[in-house]
Amino acid sequence: MAKKKTRAKSTNIAKSNGRGLRSLQSVASNQRTYTVVDYRLERPSFALKQVRAAGHVHYEVTGDLSAPVPPLRESKYLDKKQCIEIYRWMLLNRRMEAALENLYKQGKVVGGVYFGVGQEACSCASAYALRPEDWMGPMIRNQGSLLVRGFSACDIMMQYMAKAGSPTKGRDASSHFGDIQARNVVAPTSTLGDLIPVLAGVALGARLQGRNIAVMTYIGDGGQSTGVTYEGLNFAAVQKLGLVLFVENNLWGYSTPCDMQFCVKDLAERAIAYGIPGVIVDGTDACQVYDAAREACERARRAEGPTLIEAKMMRMKGHAIHDAAEYVPKPLFEYWRKRDPIARLEGFLLDKKWLTAGENEKLIADVEKQLGADREFAVSSPMPAPETAAVGVYCENGCHEIKPKYGAPKVANEILIRHS
Amino acid sequence: MSTVTYLEAIRQGIWEEMERDPSVFCLGEDIGIYGGAFKVTDGFIDHFGPRRVIDTPIAESAIVGAAFGAALTGMRPIAEFQFMDFIGCAFNQIVNMVAKAHYRWGAPAPLVIRGPSGGNVHGGPFHSQNPEAWFVHAPGLKVVCPASAYDAKGLIKASIRDNNPVVFFEHKYLYRRIKEDIPDNDYVVPLGKARVAREGRDLSVVTYAAMVYVALEAAEILAKEGIELEVLDLRTLSPLDREAIAQTVRKTNKVILLHEDVRTGGIAGELGAIINEEAFEDLDGPIVRITALDTPVPFSPPQEEYFLPKVSDLVREARRLKAY
Repeated sequence: MAKKKTRAKSTNIAKSNGRGLRSLQSVASNQRTYTVVDYRLERPSFALKQVRAAGHVHYEVTGDLSAPVPPLRESKYLDKKQCIEIYRWMLLNRRMEAALENLYKQGKVVGGVYFGVGQEACSCASAYALRPEDWMGPMIRNQGSLLVRGFSACDIMMQYMAKAGSPTKGRDASSHFGDIQARNVVAPTSTLGDLIPVLAGVALGARLQGRNIAVMTYIGDGGQSTGVTYEGLNFAAVQKLGLVLFVENNLWGYSTPCDMQFCVKDLAERAIAYGIPGVIVDGTDACQVYDAAREACERARRAEGPTLIEAKMMRMKGHAIHDAAEYVPKPLFEYWRKRDPIARLEGFLLDKKWLTAGENEKLIADVEKQLGADREFAVSSPMPAPETAAVGVYCENGCHEIKPKYGAPKVANEILIRHS
Repeated sequence: MSTVTYLEAIRQGIWEEMERDPSVFCLGEDIGIYGGAFKVTDGFIDHFGPRRVIDTPIAESAIVGAAFGAALTGMRPIAEFQFMDFIGCAFNQIVNMVAKAHYRWGAPAPLVIRGPSGGNVHGGPFHSQNPEAWFVHAPGLKVVCPASAYDAKGLIKASIRDNNPVVFFEHKYLYRRIKEDIPDNDYVVPLGKARVAREGRDLSVVTYAAMVYVALEAAEILAKEGIELEVLDLRTLSPLDREAIAQTVRKTNKVILLHEDVRTGGIAGELGAIINEEAFEDLDGPIVRITALDTPVPFSPPQEEYFLPKVSDLVREARRLKAY
């Protein structure tokens, strides 16, 4: 009723001020009709506060930490085969990172290791919604997204070990690699939010070539504080580019809790301010993540513009391997450990009899076997020759051919309004 | 041949490249119906349409990021900065995302970032700067600073065709003050090649952009005293034409480095080092620097005049160096 009243009032104002204002009013009221869709089956509500005790300040958590774990939400789209494929990617994601942790302990990794533990559903089920012609730009914890996009565990291990055969030939680490030819992946940088306008630009380039594609990238609850996040998402919104932005709210930006990054209740609310749809999903529920990603990708391909999807979960390790995350209150770990995304999907598949215990064991053994081979190849492959550091700064001597990826750009002159 | 301004030469260059190659497009603030703050893209939206001439929000990081993203799909974007002073807003995108892309992950970034720089127009601290040295210091970028209308057109066309990111500094003082006859046919001026703007036997002045005209004016005055200046216009600051720099020093044995950018960390320091490496034995006198002051660009005309290098500064230093 309240909404109707407001609309009636707007119309009156519009009438009294002529046609121009009416159109402005109608745009504004359209934007305000966006509501934030919430796919979750539970809505955890905790508060963190800094407490000073015995000369030290630490975080304490309050809220209901004993709630039972809900079932996964049935997907509107995924069938048995697809659910098992996503489950397999998530297992590979988790176990590859475990292998990296071991390689680190053996002194074979150069630098640190970054984990996506607790976030595998968000990485894998989101990237699973992309088609080959779509694009993706990962953040540091989206190693699962890279696997789904067609990179191997061997590629990622070689990145961490700085090998000559790594996708960046030793020049960068971790998830910092891409492929503009086959897999349509943009390499991230360490500064946060910068991929957002870049992926928007990818969609712009494709559109100039006559194709509406989905472009997906990620930002954390910490990274979304950056100015370029706003600039990029606003640009995509204004230009109606097919950006699918996953805001991975994993509660911690390094050691700073999300309460100190923003004060909206849900980051998905931000979507309203951009004039785009916002969606909330349980980031530990692969079905919810996939459904939201798929719907956003379809919207992108219909040229209707970007979507902001907030995935709520918790980062289950420190920022990187050196960080024991001792600042995180223990009860929070206990709460989220019960919501482990892989255990939840495994239980879902077993309950539905889509997977038997025997098939599950075989699947896990296959993943481990593949990882074993990848690990062996990566470990035994050579380091780059030192002098390779000096080459490749510029694209020269025909090292790359620049040509429109989706065909000749559509250059028809479109004059929208011509004044006589 | 037709007589065109420096600004019109740039406009023609972009226009011709957009006609020639459908993957070239423009994005930036107020470049569409308004035609850009300085009217470089005046009429473009009518001819090429709003899909290829895109007015953006006031968001420099988004402009560069989107240009880079489009370049990854094989387009050749031209991103306009309303003033090059505002390039600081997009610094991270330029030096971390764009400049490193080819080295890190083999992604070519064929895009041009262009806009007006430079002082002597009483624009104050935020509409007068020469921030080119920031980008010379970032491997992966090319940096272009044309002085003549002929070069402005040939260099913008070469920049658009280049497979690397180019930061193209137009000098706003020259936009409408420089008029030249330039050929009507399609031509490019290669990046990385300097030109001798005036031949001379006694002293070399190595410079670029608006300071080329300061050097040429000083050369006229000094010629009357029998001092012949050679003026080397660098045209491109990255990559630098080391051979041309060494060659002029080998010819005259005395060199003055002149730029409108501030002194400390300016390109003159790098030029001095190159001369030291390439032509130390040929020097018959100290390397002399003439630059702007190490201050922000002041607003008030008497202060700005004091801040900028002048013809009288060059005449004085040339006489001193000649007598050394």
